[in-house]
Amino acid sequence: MKAFVRSRGYFVAEFLPEEARLLSSLADQIIELIRDPEAHGTDPAVRRLLPDAYPDDAEASAEFRRFTVDGLAERKAANANQVAADLASAAEAKSASKVRLTDSSAGAWLRSLTDIRLTVATRLGITEDGDLGTEDPELLDLYNWLGFVQGSLVDCLDR
Amino acid sequence: MMTLTDVLEDTEVVESTIPDLPWVTIVWNDPVNLMSYVSYVFRSYFGFSEAEANKRMLQVHNDGRAVVATGSREEMERHVEAMHDFGLWATLQKVDE
Repeated sequence: MKAFVRSRGYFVAEFLPEEARLLSSLADQIIELIRDPEAHGTDPAVRRLLPDAYPDDAEASAEFRRFTVDGLAERKAANANQVAADLASAAEAKSASKVRLTDSSAGAWLRSLTDIRLTVATRLGITEDGDLGTEDPELLDLYNWLGFVQGSLVDCLDR
Repeated sequence: MMTLTDVLEDTEVVESTIPDLPWVTIVWNDPVNLMSYVSYVFRSYFGFSEAEANKRMLQVHNDGRAVVATGSREEMERHVEAMHDFGLWATLQKVDE
């Protein structure tokens, strides 16, 4: 993967086909997770994606959740969908190819990359600053790569 | 003390001089979100200058939390929902808690 750069009003990065397929499949997994009503009650990653709004008030938190959860979940799914759609041709290419994002696509990517990284971090057991989550080196590599992708996109915003 | 009749007669004054109990939106530190991303969210959503956004981002990072907005409960709920859209860990509470 070659880092995002700003080019003629677009955000442009280069992905290998296997990288594009991997990120696209992670985006699909977020959609599945966020739409799974069972995961909402039991999965710590979903609790992190949709945290309690009132730290010391379970009742108010439940009420806030009731009013916001559907919208938040659908927007998160729409962002993930956008990522998968933007990666579709790079995922089917024979070699590394460019992925071009508009401003609004970049907004969806930033949010969805955050959701994906939060989910992977939960799986790795990263809960505090300095946690290394070294139990699964492959997943940790993926986590660090996702950080690179997102960091490179943030770095070329409004500069 | 004001009677109910006074209140009804003075609704306009009451509404403009006695604000809702102020609430705050708090963003909490987490080990995942990039410092550059948190600062971007503060700039793009709250309209903070780069210096202000970085100051609050560092407050989150160093102190574990920062107040990013103050106002009515409804307003703070909107901010918290927006922060959850961005994947930031945000909560709201009354200012004196």
